[in-house]
Amino acid sequence: MFDKLFYQEKGFFLQSFHPAAVLVYLCVFLVLSLLYENPLYLLALLFLLAFLIRGVDGMEAWEGFLKAGVFLMLMVMIINPLVIRSGATIIWHGPAVPYLGKLNISMEAMYYGAASGIRLLVLISIFCLYNQMINPDRVLKLFSRVAGKSVLMIALSTRMFPTMVRDLKRIKEVQQFRGVDFDEGSLWEKARKYSCLYNVLLLSSLEGSMEIAESMQARAFGSGKRSVYSRNMLRPRDIICTGGSFLALSAAIWGLRYGCGLYTFYPEADFLIKDSTTLIALSVVLFYLSMPLILNEGWNYCRFLKSKI
Amino acid sequence: MPLFKVENLTYYYPETEKAALRNLNLEIEEGEFILVAGGSGSGKSSLARVLAGLIPDFYGGKVGGKVLFNDKDIRTIDRRKLAREVGLVFQDPEKQIVQTYVEAEIAFGLENLGLCPEEMLRRIAEVISFMNLAPISEAFTANLSGGQKQKLALASVLAMQPRVLVLDEPTSQLDPVSAEEILNLAKRLNEEMGFTVIMIEQRLERCFQLADRVLLMEKGEIAYDGRAQEIARDVVIRDMPFVPPVARFFAGLDLPSVPITVKEGRKFLGPYFKEKYSTGEIQCDLGCKNLQTANLTEQKSVVSLQKLWFAYPGGQEVLKDVNLDIKEGEFVVILGENGAGKSTMLKHITGMLKPGRGRVQVLGKDVSRNGFKEIRRFTAYLSQNPNDYLFQDTVEDELLFTLKNFDIKDVSVIDEILERFHLADCRKTNPRELSSGERQRVALASVLVTRPKLIILDEPTRGVDFLLKAELGEILQKETERGSTVIVVTHDVEFAAEFAVRVVMMFLGRIVSDGEKHNVLGKSVFYSPQIGKMCRGFCEGVLTLAEAKDKIFPLIHGKTSTSHRARMRA
Repeated sequence: MFDKLFYQEKGFFLQSFHPAAVLVYLCVFLVLSLLYENPLYLLALLFLLAFLIRGVDGMEAWEGFLKAGVFLMLMVMIINPLVIRSGATIIWHGPAVPYLGKLNISMEAMYYGAASGIRLLVLISIFCLYNQMINPDRVLKLFSRVAGKSVLMIALSTRMFPTMVRDLKRIKEVQQFRGVDFDEGSLWEKARKYSCLYNVLLLSSLEGSMEIAESMQARAFGSGKRSVYSRNMLRPRDIICTGGSFLALSAAIWGLRYGCGLYTFYPEADFLIKDSTTLIALSVVLFYLSMPLILNEGWNYCRFLKSKI
Repeated sequence: MPLFKVENLTYYYPETEKAALRNLNLEIEEGEFILVAGGSGSGKSSLARVLAGLIPDFYGGKVGGKVLFNDKDIRTIDRRKLAREVGLVFQDPEKQIVQTYVEAEIAFGLENLGLCPEEMLRRIAEVISFMNLAPISEAFTANLSGGQKQKLALASVLAMQPRVLVLDEPTSQLDPVSAEEILNLAKRLNEEMGFTVIMIEQRLERCFQLADRVLLMEKGEIAYDGRAQEIARDVVIRDMPFVPPVARFFAGLDLPSVPITVKEGRKFLGPYFKEKYSTGEIQCDLGCKNLQTANLTEQKSVVSLQKLWFAYPGGQEVLKDVNLDIKEGEFVVILGENGAGKSTMLKHITGMLKPGRGRVQVLGKDVSRNGFKEIRRFTAYLSQNPNDYLFQDTVEDELLFTLKNFDIKDVSVIDEILERFHLADCRKTNPRELSSGERQRVALASVLVTRPKLIILDEPTRGVDFLLKAELGEILQKETERGSTVIVVTHDVEFAAEFAVRVVMMFLGRIVSDGEKHNVLGKSVFYSPQIGKMCRGFCEGVLTLAEAKDKIFPLIHGKTSTSHRARMRA
């Protein structure tokens, strides 16, 4: 189950972008989700993310992310009206409670809670899409030139983590067969038993680290300045995606200057669609942000476009 | 001019008083395939590290003498330059992969050499094609199998295009199929690409014939240096075990050239058996060998698997309708390829896994329902890695740890076990400071200290030399004589042939063969020890050296002496 939450190479078009292009694209998404206040705009971003996640066959993973997200959203929707007193439309006059005072639940506060919840879902979905769309190693490699040793250390830790989990499981079985009951005894006793377990792991890891260091030295690590191998290729799709991201950001900033995407919740909630500019600005931003999706469709259904991107 | 010239080399690891290498003299020519054999601690790996420049650069310590590479003192050669010339592959694939995906791992050495991207790309593409790694080039390295990891480690070194390839027991952690693949690659690299290959190996039956020269090391010195055929006889005369079974068999005969492969052995034996085999005159007496198993049918059952089925969540069925009954006092070896279901079956016997369907009874307890807690007091389990057991300050404390956990007050058993396992001298030593063989004995002692009725071992011969393997086999045989039941999961057919009484073979989750070892291994073409393969068709059922000597020597000994004398006269 947990495997599904992380990157898996599935050979989808949306997984073939240059990591830098994907990073720029997702950063723009992130910035817009923080800048926009209008729930309509936030919902539009969420829908777009849903299409993208579907494009990388990540609906199952998204479901996992959303489970946590919806729970947090409900919490925000419940807590916000309890502590915010700015709303004008009171829908329930509650009793006075210690610390919080009189509970007057306003519709605007609930509405604001819901909008914040959607923003939270958008943010969670961006991270979900990141996990599904881009190989974390490729992202890491982007920083090899500036922080080579740190990148190597992260790669080594990532590589060793599953091995250590396997080792830990095996050592636990061995100790259980030597009479150790990990689920019995007081908290202190349990901690002592687990300390023995981690002791074995630590000793073996220390011995292992010497062997890894030896293998690295045998392959000339530390013998001079390193070069960086990159298998990332910059293709037209990456330029279009990055261009689309910057154009979307520019259009969004232009729109925000004229109030498109902004929203007032208190004391009374604004209209979702003030005028046609609201929709036009949203459509322009969405169009530019939809570039990867448009290219994806072109890749799947248009031979001409496929040969060009 | 030799490629390597070692002159009077002596080396001490830091803080040790015993020399790892003593007064070593050696010359290695370009393009040679050299096999280095010897017991644990004989200095094989130290020699590999010397040739790769890791000693003393990485380890420190005291060095005397000289190592010349291309007539230059190896210590004066720039490390980067040396890495371009000499590549070293280690035994544990798990401990030499540093990157997260395959292509990055191959690029690692090239990045260290500071090569330009175009050159790296070309070399990586070449190596991936040569090693047939394309299907896994995008894979996460932690998810690869042991064989794939070792292939990757080799690819990573090959990408650096060294002239010399030093392989330090590259197959010791692998199953036979993966091991064969690595050995074949080494041979190809030597024959087709002209690499100088220096290979340290324990599985001599697989690579003895590959080498142009065999170096046999003992106590840090080169005891023998010569062609495989030449040294076989001398080694056998000195009763050293580092010769594969077929060569060992023929070395005892008075022959001008010792056959060292199954093919050569069969060619030699053919004429002696042709006539008798065709008339069916030669039949080995398996009756006596079946006697032990016949008696066991009256013994009580220790392990009983009935209609056992199991599938991991989201995975394929790993065990399919497995039925197995193991009696008290049996020595059973379970053989099979990776993925055959051996380890999963073992986990069911130990109660670590619950079956999907079917029943598991161990020592009269229903393990499938109640788990391992009911049987662990009387069951010893030794995992693949002895280090999993070692964390106490002394060997004695390791044994006491198990006794305390089971609330066993009588600690007198510790003296007896330490004595029996030749560990009395290391009683107060930290187990992590011991040699690999001693560590394994401590791990085994720490689980046998409860006097178990059932002993289960998972791949105990991995990375273990001939002597230690024999020692382990004898210990286990003695345990069965005491009434314990021994179950060993292994890939090691030679070990099974030598020590087991009964062999179970698994394939794709099913037991495909089960019976007395001569019946199972004797009938198999591929799962047969070297001696068995040589004797197949001549003297059926012969599996071990002792059996071959017993059955075949009398038939051919007289003839060989006569014919040899005739040849000498001619």
